[in-house]
Amino acid sequence: MPDHTSNGMQCHEFDLLLTDMLDGVLGGAQLDAFQAHARSCSVCGPLLAEVEAGRNWLKGLTEVEPPAGLVNNILASTTGVDSQRLRVNVAAQPQFSWWERVQAWISGAMQPVWATVRQPRFAMSFGMAFFSLSVALSMLGVKPADLRQISLRPAAIRHTFYNTQARIVRYYDNIRLVYELQAAASKIRRNVRPAEPGPAKPKEHKNDTTEQPEQKQERNYSQSDHQFLLAGAPLGPSVVYPLNQDLPVVSVTTYRRFV
Amino acid sequence: MLVRRCVAGDAAAWEEIVRTYNRRIYNICYRFAGSASDAEDLTQEVFIKMYRTLSSYDSSKGAFVTWVTTITRNLLVDHFRKTKQDRLTDSIDAPVSAQEDAQPLSEQIQDQSAPPDQRVRSREVGESVHAALSKLSPELREAVILRDLQDFDYREIATVLKVPEGTVKSRINRGRAELARLLQRTYRQVM
Ligand SMILES: [Zn+2]
Repeated sequence: MPDHTSNGMQCHEFDLLLTDMLDGVLGGAQLDAFQAHARSCSVCGPLLAEVEAGRNWLKGLTEVEPPAGLVNNILASTTGVDSQRLRVNVAAQPQFSWWERVQAWISGAMQPVWATVRQPRFAMSFGMAFFSLSVALSMLGVKPADLRQISLRPAAIRHTFYNTQARIVRYYDNIRLVYELQAAASKIRRNVRPAEPGPAKPKEHKNDTTEQPEQKQERNYSQSDHQFLLAGAPLGPSVVYPLNQDLPVVSVTTYRRFV
Repeated sequence: MLVRRCVAGDAAAWEEIVRTYNRRIYNICYRFAGSASDAEDLTQEVFIKMYRTLSSYDSSKGAFVTWVTTITRNLLVDHFRKTKQDRLTDSIDAPVSAQEDAQPLSEQIQDQSAPPDQRVRSREVGESVHAALSKLSPELREAVILRDLQDFDYREIATVLKVPEGTVKSRINRGRAELARLLQRTYRQVM
């Protein structure tokens, strides 16, 4: 902007007062000088008109409505709990009741693992495990009907016991394999999903290498494109890293669910 | 306080934060990134980062809304740099933006013949302003979004952008003027 003085005001002064003038906080002699400069300066006059028009265009923009499922998706991707969906899943479980009884009979030792798997957030995984087991059981010749038709005579029970014990060992191995896969999968999920750790407690924060040091420097849009994508709290407690050390990179996974 | 309750593990407090701020964050992201799907992803990212770093929020250093907006803005910078690189390296991503770039904004606007219905018309004007906004440089765009769409004061914007208030005002002026120049060729006769 050519910086000449017109009506006792320089163009850069005019520029600084533009926002105040449009906010209506300019008054008295300053406003008079401002208006006089606008009338006489061939640069600032049109600029005032443009800035005012631009502001009016922007003020005319209405707020947009966020997508309907946004809040639920955010809650699911942070706390990992979508309460409404989970309540539905729990309610839909009664068809597993016979299986739950058989499972309890097979092994009490499975209880801790079972408790984990029964958590609502594992409901989907559990469904998969259930179907895998159903297939495994039917391949081994066991049907729900068989369990109901077992003879209750002591000799028959003994016979059935030894006869099925071998199978049970195999079932157990199958179940264990499935649960081991489940455990591995959930471990991976825990690493991938941001939901798991919960809000970091202040005392943990200092040792948390997945967090990123405070960004003291100004972020701008023309920084090198080869920089890693850094995730961090702008006002967080600073963690100082040696300059030659690579900064931790946090990958963020968002996902859209159709609720 | 909501944040303290949330850090203590109160899920209801977190839900309240999400419900209170999702609209504002979504709108900032939408106006800056330009597309609804990007805005949705970015808004989720903002909340994920907020959730992880909530314990680092210090109320003595500023209002929560300023902190939230700073996180949003930092992610938008990252997003801008990332998509700029994508545009340079990924030709699959090109068609839409290339088409937009090939056609001057004034022509894009004129392509939409004004229907008599006032509501449709004002929606089209809104779309034109939204399109013009995306043509502004990111520094000017974020300044006018925070001031004219989100009604932040200059001091808050200066905190979020980490630049002096004078720079904020200057960017707002330039952003508004640039936007008007992009739009006025088309709309001068009807305004
Ligand atoms: Zn002047």
